[in-house]
Order: sequence, then structure tokens, then C-alpha cells
Amino acid sequence: MKKLICLLLMLACLFTCAIAETVNAKDEAVLNIFTWEGYIDYSTVIEPFEKETGIKVNYATFASNEEMFEKLSAVNGGEYDIILASDYILNAAREAGLMQKFDASVVTNFGNLNPDFTSKFFDPANEYVVPYVSGIPLIVYDPAVVEIEIDGFEDLWDPSLKDTLGLIDDARVTIGMVLLSMGQSMNTTDEAVLAEAAKKLEALKENIHVLEYENLHNYVVSGDIGAAYTFTPFVALALDANPDLKVVWPKEGLGFGIDGLFIPVNAPHAGNANRFLEYMLRPEVAAVCAEWQYYCTPNAAALDVIGDWYTARSEFMGIFDRMNDAEFVLNLPAADEQKFQDIWTTFKLGL
Amino acid sequence: MTHKQQKERAQERRNTLFFAPMAVLAVLLVALPLIYVLGMSLTANDGSGFTLANYKALLRADYLLVFANSLKLAFYTTAVSLLIGYPFGYCMARAPRGWKSLLMMLVIIPFWTSALVRIFGWKILLQGNGLINTVLKSLGLIDKSIKFLGSYGSVLLAMVYCMISFMILPCHSAVDKMDFTLVEASRDLGAKPWRAFLDVTLPLTLPGIMAGCVLVFVPSVGIFYLSDIMGGGLVLVGNLIRDQLLKVRDWHTGSAMSVLLVVLTAGIYLIYRRCGGDDLGVM
Repeated sequence: MKKLICLLLMLACLFTCAIAETVNAKDEAVLNIFTWEGYIDYSTVIEPFEKETGIKVNYATFASNEEMFEKLSAVNGGEYDIILASDYILNAAREAGLMQKFDASVVTNFGNLNPDFTSKFFDPANEYVVPYVSGIPLIVYDPAVVEIEIDGFEDLWDPSLKDTLGLIDDARVTIGMVLLSMGQSMNTTDEAVLAEAAKKLEALKENIHVLEYENLHNYVVSGDIGAAYTFTPFVALALDANPDLKVVWPKEGLGFGIDGLFIPVNAPHAGNANRFLEYMLRPEVAAVCAEWQYYCTPNAAALDVIGDWYTARSEFMGIFDRMNDAEFVLNLPAADEQKFQDIWTTFKLGL
Repeated sequence: MTHKQQKERAQERRNTLFFAPMAVLAVLLVALPLIYVLGMSLTANDGSGFTLANYKALLRADYLLVFANSLKLAFYTTAVSLLIGYPFGYCMARAPRGWKSLLMMLVIIPFWTSALVRIFGWKILLQGNGLINTVLKSLGLIDKSIKFLGSYGSVLLAMVYCMISFMILPCHSAVDKMDFTLVEASRDLGAKPWRAFLDVTLPLTLPGIMAGCVLVFVPSVGIFYLSDIMGGGLVLVGNLIRDQLLKVRDWHTGSAMSVLLVVLTAGIYLIYRRCGGDDLGVM
């Protein structure tokens, strides 16, 4: 009997605690961030924020934009306070009503951003998204292995590059690259143009050695491949390992991406989230983020305080000369997305 | 009713009581999700009700090729695992006691480390300036690095490496349980070693071989991340389902693919049982 009473008492305690917890939730000092593993550094960015505000940050991770979208939809835009993801999925989330506007009276430093990186398709009126970093896939190649001079996408079809290319294992990015080489938009849904692109992609088969989404720089550095078309941080990492590598800003056009932060529509701690956005926009914080993540910074004020080594590197700064050539990969309706996936599946099956 | 019968009844009732929580868990965690997937695969994307359209959408030459790709890779993985795993399991069972536990440790220990970490280890060994290429070069066997990564062979290596324990363990226990006096008897009657092996050892350890093959083959059909990590760029069933769910975001067609994969797997298992296979402790 004594045991039973003890047990009941314990349960009662737990229950009251649980109620107290839900009452507190509204103004408790917590911030739930949801993004990729390691995408916001703890010791240089999150820890100082926690010390300054007393807000405890929880960091949950997803493996892909798509996974984030599914999870956020499943919790109806709640649970998380800050989400950091890529442009096309930001657009999908905004269209699905999963975002809430940030509070401009708290986020007073939005003006630190370079206007070239704001008012984009995912947030035309600058009400929802705070851009975090930006990237452009580039060609990086080893002149010791590659015999020709590469200055654009078209060169990737050169017969001398047989079995030496590494491309991104993604339908939209790589078919997009083929479309750019044809002078077309990466987002075309025109059947005839896509059929032509599929044919041109087929002709690239002989030159491809590896398809991988991330970390293609490892293959260039180890000598497994001579050239890779890959994302900004991997280009920079390749150059770190081998400064003799050459970086190409393709003359036909550029892919372009922005990763941004937003507050989900039913965020439990929206007030804290707004304070975090203000914090992330500060020049010194944005500078640290760009240096850590090896991406281009959309924060103009950050460039004044960022390290000289950073501004000396063309893979981070070159975008400012080519802003008008850069095109986003947009989110398309399922039927159009399927067209790209079909081309990609057929292509990979024939490899 | 006799006293004994009553006692047995009571025992049975107690057994049911013990079994109940497991049954509830199985229904909640296995049956319900599967039914959900099945339901999803039989409804239309626009929410207009029952349809077989998702299955019709799978009747495409390239999708069949994807399934064939997965089956082919699973078949090679099983074959190579058997060629290496059976002799290993055999030697392990016949080894002196001290060696036995050492070999068993060698099989078990890798399980304690993440498969991902171990596969990345292989990647570093195999890369252009990796240990294997460096050694081959310094021995003068090659003068240009071999491009291991990205090849079908490297994917197969990773698959076999990850799955082989599931072949070794059943083969080992089959050989271990076998009565070796039977082999000795056949040798006494004049059988050559290979003859004794083919006529005595092999049939007696066949259940272990079959169990190993099923345990390796079935998961191999579904695994796709190893090919991605090794740069194989293969399109396997797993890739197809993932892309359908996450990239195209058509959960209904993706579910139909998943159902097809489950049916395929169940089919393999049923054939195995029909051929007199063990229950593998799962049925």
C-alpha cells in the first residue's frame, strides 16, 4: 500500500511539472533551431548568443531540405522557432503557409544585407526570410591532369576529359548546368528543350567518372578525377588542399543559391526567434558565419569586418562581378519536377 | 477436466498474457505503418479516392531496369559473400578454441563501429592517392593510379563488407553443429576429401548456407546509400523511392514502389521457406 501511495504521489508530481511546463512555454528562454548538422557553429555563434540573452538554444538537424519540409508540414509549422534551409524550399514553405513574418521592430538591421541578395523569389517583399549565406556551383580543375584550358561548361564535353569529371548527383543542378551550356534557363519546362538537354547530357557520359552530391573536392585532391562541378565550400576546400587547382566561373551562366533563416508559422518562441534573427544579421556575426561555412556572405556590412584572407579569395567574392548571370533553381510543380527526374534516371541507368 | 489439463490451461493463459504486449507493439510499429503505406499507394495524389494509377505509373521500362539493377547488385553481393563467408565460417568452426573466439571477435567487433565510418575508411584506402594505390605504385606494379572509386567493383566491395557477417554467422553455426564423425566415416569408406565435402559436409550445412543467402540478399535489395557513398552513381530501388518521396514529393507513387519492394522481399522469403528453409527466428 505504501508503495502504491508513493507511486501515485510521484505521478502527481510529474503531472504538475508537465502542466507548469506548458504554462511556461510561452515565455521560456528557449530557442529551437532546425537545420543541417554543423551549419551554425556552436562556439563562435550560438554560445555567445546564449551568454548574451540567457536563451537556451536547442539544435535539431535534418539531412535534406525535403526532409525539413516534410517534418515541418507534419507539425503544422510548430515545434521549431528558427529554420535554416535553401531558397527553393523556402519558397515552397512560404507558399504552403508555413512561415510567419519576422518582426521588423526587433530585426532592425535587415538593411545590413546587400540588396542583390534580397527581394528574391522566395520572399519578394522581404517579410519572411533573412538570408544567411549564398553559393554558386563552380568548376574546379587540376591543370596537372586536364590538358585543356577550361573556361565554361562547353569545355566539359571535350574528348580529352574522358573519365575525368565529377558532377553533382542532382537532377535539377546538373541538367540545369546542361541547360545553361545551351543558353537556356535552368528552370525551363519546355519539352523540346528538355529533350535536347537530355541528348546533350547523354553525350557527356563518356567523360563522367563520378556522380556525388557532396564532397566532390576529395576526388579532385586525391587525383581520382581531373575536374569537378561543385558547390562553393567544396571548391574552397579543394583549393585549401591544393592551391594549384584552377577555379572557373563558367562564361555561359551561373547557378545561384541562397540559404536563409525563417520563423515557422506556429513557432513556440517567436519572440526569441526574432532576437536571434537580429543577432545573425550583425556584421561581426555574419562575418564569422561566412568564414566558418566557406560561403559567400549576403551581408554587406560583414565584408567590412571580415578577414582579409576571405576577401582575397575569388570563390567567395567573384559573385559580385557576375550577379546578373546568376540564376536560381526554382521549385517546380510535381509534374515538371518529374520531367527532370525522368531524364536523370534514364541517364544514370545508362552510365 | 483433469488437474493436469487445468494446469496446462492456466499456463497457456499466462503465456497469452506475456505475448500480448509484444503483439500490441508488433501491430503498432509494423502492421499499422505498412497498412498506411498500402493505403497511400491505393489512393490518388489529388485525394479523389481509390485508384490503381500509382501502380500503373510503375509499369515503365526504366523502372523495371532499376529493380533489375537492385536485384543484380544483391545477387552479386550474395554470391561473393558466400564465396568468402562460407570458408571463413567453416574455418572458424573447425579452429582450435582460442582461435575460434579470436575469429568470432573479428567478425563481431566491426558491428560496434558505425558502418558509415567504416565505409569512409575504405574510401580513403581506395582513393587515387590512398594507401592501396601508393603501395601498388611503390611496388612498381602500376605507374598510374587505378580509379577504384566510382566503379561497380568498389560498390560491390562496400556491400560485401557490410553484409558478410550475416553470411559468416549462419554458416559457422551450421558447420559447428555438424557431426564430423560422418565426414570421418565417409573418409574411412574411401571418399576423397572433396568428395566427402560435396556429399556430406555441403548437404549437412545447406540450411546454414540458405539462411545466410536470404539474410544477405534481402537487405541488399534495399540498400542504396553504399552506392552513393562509393560514387557508384547507380540507380537502385532505394534511390528511386527516396527521390519520389522527397524530390518529386509524390508520396502515393513512392508508396506503390515501397509496396512492390516489400512484396518482392516477402516473395523471396516465401520461396526460401518452400525450399525447406529455417524460420530464421522471424516466423
